[in-house]
Amino acid sequence: MPETKKNQGIVLRVAEIIIDELKLEDITAGTFNPDMDLVDELGIDSMDLATIALVLQDEFKITIDEDDYPKLKTVQLICEYIEEKLAAGN
Amino acid sequence: MRAHPDKMVTPSRPAFSELLADPEVKARFEKVRKYFFLRESTYDMSNRCNIRCDGCYYFEGDKQFARENLSPEDWRRLMKAEKARGITYVVLAGAEPSLVPELLDVCYSEMPLGSIATNGFLKIPESVGYKIHISVWGNDETSLKTRKAKNLLQKQIENYRGDPRAVFVYTFTRDNIDEVHDVAADLVYADCRLTFNVFSSPVGYEGPLRHDTESLQKTRQAMIDLLKRYPKQVLFSVYNAVAHTSPSGLHDLYSCSYPRCNPSQDIGLGRSFRQYRTDLNWDRSVACCVPDTDCADCRHYAAGSAVVTARLYRHAGDSDTFKSWLDYVDTYLAVWVMGYEKEANLCGRVIEPPPAR
Repeated sequence: MPETKKNQGIVLRVAEIIIDELKLEDITAGTFNPDMDLVDELGIDSMDLATIALVLQDEFKITIDEDDYPKLKTVQLICEYIEEKLAAGN
Repeated sequence: MRAHPDKMVTPSRPAFSELLADPEVKARFEKVRKYFFLRESTYDMSNRCNIRCDGCYYFEGDKQFARENLSPEDWRRLMKAEKARGITYVVLAGAEPSLVPELLDVCYSEMPLGSIATNGFLKIPESVGYKIHISVWGNDETSLKTRKAKNLLQKQIENYRGDPRAVFVYTFTRDNIDEVHDVAADLVYADCRLTFNVFSSPVGYEGPLRHDTESLQKTRQAMIDLLKRYPKQVLFSVYNAVAHTSPSGLHDLYSCSYPRCNPSQDIGLGRSFRQYRTDLNWDRSVACCVPDTDCADCRHYAAGSAVVTARLYRHAGDSDTFKSWLDYVDTYLAVWVMGYEKEANLCGRVIEPPPAR
């Protein structure tokens, strides 16, 4: 999916949430690579991802099922997932 | 960026931020989440044991026949390799780790967080700073009958009285429920802490230790009674009791995430967990915390520590369920992590395990 201005806003907000929840230093939402693999490259595990998913649910008022967690591998994929949920009325 | 108000969904489910609005709940969540980095694997250390118990998991299946590797350098290499692939916590088990203290030292020098499952007959040197789980299967009379070991509880207490590493793990079988009260009193008197396990049958086991509905209900009540009686020494919560004594086992309740039951290698235990045999090999198809357990009957405390903890999402559906989950995770960390101290439980009510959504 090409990055539009609209989903760029979501990308930045998702990146902010991840940075905040994981207490990452030396990185900002603007410098966060949206294609970075969160598991392989950032090293996050299932409990971190579950926490981030709950915060994303609050933020975007969507439901993220446990079974969908493996899909949330990058900020870009999370953003696309959120957009699909919003478009479908969740 | 906020969604349009008409996209609001699942009104019955509170926002996560609402669950964390209670300062006590928020503080507990922040305390336990510091340990979300723990990634475990388990290791059989020796194929020998100094006692032989009925229903022992180690001496079921093929793993008992693996060659014993006693080379400290091979173990050091393994620990370094495990660290390199992201493992941060080791569980040293089968058959009896206290028989190979030099290997325990090697593991501890490479991997500072972990635990050892032992029968407690031989004291593990104090230089090994892991949590030590001492298995108790009843009073000395019962131990003599099922474990062929004389004065075992007395010996265990002598070895680990007041030891901050030690947690005595009382395994409830169908036959030893009533005697837990006297055993717990002895342990508390000796300045020992204890937690509870539920006998889970090895594959094919149909012997007298296997639980039935009635014994599970009686076990739950005994657990809750002792938790109320010794809240400082008994590392447990009401939700622990519920999770481990329900008619359904852990796999049916929570969908076990160990590789043996979980083909996904995307994230979590399915990705990182391994169960090494004494020859330092592992087999994904049988990898779980206690291999050769009948999955339908699995109520192991070790399995629950990973499987229940991993289900954060489904426990975030209401306040009491979330508090119960926090109590469970707080218990798990107090039992498994050196230096972690358990807090008072947040929920004293019986809360049923939430269904998958």
